[in-house]
Amino acid sequence: MSRVTQTALVRDDRTLYEAAAGLAVGLSGVAFVTGLAALLNIVAIDDPVAGLELSVLFGVVLLGLGATTVGFGVASRFDYVETGAQPSAGIVAAAAFTAIWLAVGAAVSGAAGLGTVGQLGVGVFLGAAAFATTAFPREDIGSTMPAGAVAVLCGLALVTGVVGPGWEQALAGYNATLFGDTVVPAVVLFASLVTGWSAAKAYGGFGARGRNVGAYVLTYLVVGSILAVLVGLVAFVTVRGLPGLFNGFSVGGAGLLSWPFLTNGAGLLADIAGVFPALLGTVWLVIGAVLFAVPTGVGAAVFLSEYAEQGRFTGAVEVATNGLWSTPSIVFGLFGAAFLIPRFGNQKSLIAGMLTLGFMLLPLVLITSREAILAVPDEYRDASAALGVSKWQTIRSVVLPAAIPGVTTGVILGVGRIAGETAPILLTMGGGVLPAKSAAPNVLGGFQLSASPPFVSNPALLEATSALPYQLYALITAGLSGNIQNPQEYAWGLALTLLLVVLVFYAIGIGTRYYFRRKLHQ
Amino acid sequence: MSQTDTAETRTNRTESQSVSTTTGETVEETQAEWTTYEGGGETKLAVDDLDVHYGSDHALKGVSMDIPEESVTALIGPSGCGKSTFLRCLNRMNDRIRAASVDGTVTLDGENIYQDGVDLVELRKRVGMVFQSPNPFPKSIRENVSYGPRKHGDIETGLLARLTGRADPGREEALVEQSLERAALWEEVRDRLDDNALGLSGGQQQRLCIARCLAVDPDVILMDEPASALDPIATSKIEDLIEDLAEDYTVVVVTHSMQQAARVSDQTAVFLTGGELVEYDDTEKIFENPESQRVEDYISGKFG
Repeated sequence: MSRVTQTALVRDDRTLYEAAAGLAVGLSGVAFVTGLAALLNIVAIDDPVAGLELSVLFGVVLLGLGATTVGFGVASRFDYVETGAQPSAGIVAAAAFTAIWLAVGAAVSGAAGLGTVGQLGVGVFLGAAAFATTAFPREDIGSTMPAGAVAVLCGLALVTGVVGPGWEQALAGYNATLFGDTVVPAVVLFASLVTGWSAAKAYGGFGARGRNVGAYVLTYLVVGSILAVLVGLVAFVTVRGLPGLFNGFSVGGAGLLSWPFLTNGAGLLADIAGVFPALLGTVWLVIGAVLFAVPTGVGAAVFLSEYAEQGRFTGAVEVATNGLWSTPSIVFGLFGAAFLIPRFGNQKSLIAGMLTLGFMLLPLVLITSREAILAVPDEYRDASAALGVSKWQTIRSVVLPAAIPGVTTGVILGVGRIAGETAPILLTMGGGVLPAKSAAPNVLGGFQLSASPPFVSNPALLEATSALPYQLYALITAGLSGNIQNPQEYAWGLALTLLLVVLVFYAIGIGTRYYFRRKLHQ
Repeated sequence: MSQTDTAETRTNRTESQSVSTTTGETVEETQAEWTTYEGGGETKLAVDDLDVHYGSDHALKGVSMDIPEESVTALIGPSGCGKSTFLRCLNRMNDRIRAASVDGTVTLDGENIYQDGVDLVELRKRVGMVFQSPNPFPKSIRENVSYGPRKHGDIETGLLARLTGRADPGREEALVEQSLERAALWEEVRDRLDDNALGLSGGQQQRLCIARCLAVDPDVILMDEPASALDPIATSKIEDLIEDLAEDYTVVVVTHSMQQAARVSDQTAVFLTGGELVEYDDTEKIFENPESQRVEDYISGKFG
């Protein structure tokens, strides 16, 4: 038994086997990252690299990886190296390889022109074979053979050009066509994930340590791809939005900043069309919604967690708030349109939008504040009560300060959602598609005093106002034409501005939370 | 403890023994007579026939005892014997537990604290409490100490008080210094009063909690296993502090450690499983020559 012999506690000698396996893991990682880059069109699969087309090079790499992976298993099985391989690779790995090979069999036989029955037969046969190969032999064979074979097959397909840059396949029944520049990266991602896992197991010498290393590599590759999607998305918007955002941007002589895209309206007189009215509309919208939702939400949370007896009533409120949070935004919008608009001058207005979004924000603020308040240790309440301090003073001076970081987290999440809402704004706030600068809401300067009730009024709040997501939506549905010079550039600049506004609100929220956390713990 | 008191206790013992002999082996060991110790000084807190139920659970059964002023009274007993419950009855902290119901009377300086119309704020200002695990607020050391007086309006800070000239920073400084001094913490924290209290060590935090309690100027200080979460050095500092405090305050301390009770207390009450007070007497007497067989077993480690 080879796994009994590996008893040394400290192993400082790096064998050739480990070095080779480490190299294979690294190569799989490189192939995975390059595959991601190809999927996001950062590199093209028909670019020549070292005299070969990239997709052919991918094929060569996968062939090599597949062959060496099988080699690792064989070398371990026939005791050329000592590993801690267990009797079987386990039922999970077996099930995974069954599914993989079933799909591979069906795809290959489909491409070879076999009918549905043939596809099913080949798929089931290969799936069963993969199951048997994974489950019954020792772990070193079970977790390398099916993996290596997948990589070899994928490599062959790429090297021979069966799947390559010019490849395309119409999907029957889907009214869509798959192209080589999507399929090749997908094949590479998939195969390199499998060989990366398998080689990592070999690197760890199979057994418990090998599984640990395998899981580690798998997790990192998957996390890497999630990050890549996120970064890719932001980068995509940024790259397309920058020209519009910085159109006419200059730093004047006396350090004077000129940023027409953010400070102009979209009128005929403006040289460079800007998004100022919608930007200001979004900022006021978020401020208004937060001003409405935070005091009411935190107040309700205090009542529910400190005063109300925990029972059926609080349970019902909890269910209701959770339900309200998952209510579609268009329903809130409809409520705002049918209930608020008749009460605020019978037209779409900024204040109707603020309140509608405030209603949307309320349940999240309530839920997170409640959890934050419940998370404040009872010790603080006991200590305060034992000093003879009344309940309300305890809540105000001890409980709420300790709950602020949690409350802030809720507000951050909620603002991220409402700042990008389109449907409720469409129904309650309206505003023009390309508002001129004069259409920007002048909320601070708009307050007017009068001698008769309600004594104070603000016309700016009662006017239809545009907001960034709504303007973007309106631009797109209006066909991107309008009276501006470069609507495409304008729209992308608008999208980037919206992204930045949300990020700025995030940054403010995170800064607040950080400040209060520091205050509580240092 | 005077000579007459000892004589009185002796008499009590004889009486209880005669009772047990007449009723034979199966007698309930709880003898009210073993718990009628009156201590050395004036009675500060008098507990009479106190029963506590948590729902259907009878946690404390007919406990009566007098706690003398300006001394240390230790409450010992195994886990779940009701000693902490008893302590929490003395400042009505049990009111905060919904399921708890309390019957009987506790009189503080002759006033029943369980009658209608008792002002809990005033009661807890006079009967302070220190908890098992140190629980300073996540605020600065200074704010922790001045928390109680600020909330009671004894010290006014804040913008309004400053504008109207009622703020008196000197008074607050003096109170903070005095309280920390009394809790033997001043020297260690005098240069960092504005640091967060959570940055202190466990023992320092516990002394800060004592300082916070002293700042309200109570008559009685209740301590619920104040040193059980601390290391031996911090524990000995707390013990020294307890003895020191007994010069001016009435201290009631619950403890798991019999050595601690023996070291710091003037009189000791032994609670045993089932929520009964079995014996209450001079600490020396309890540890050297207890009346009850069960108490003797408990103290010698045979049970509990």
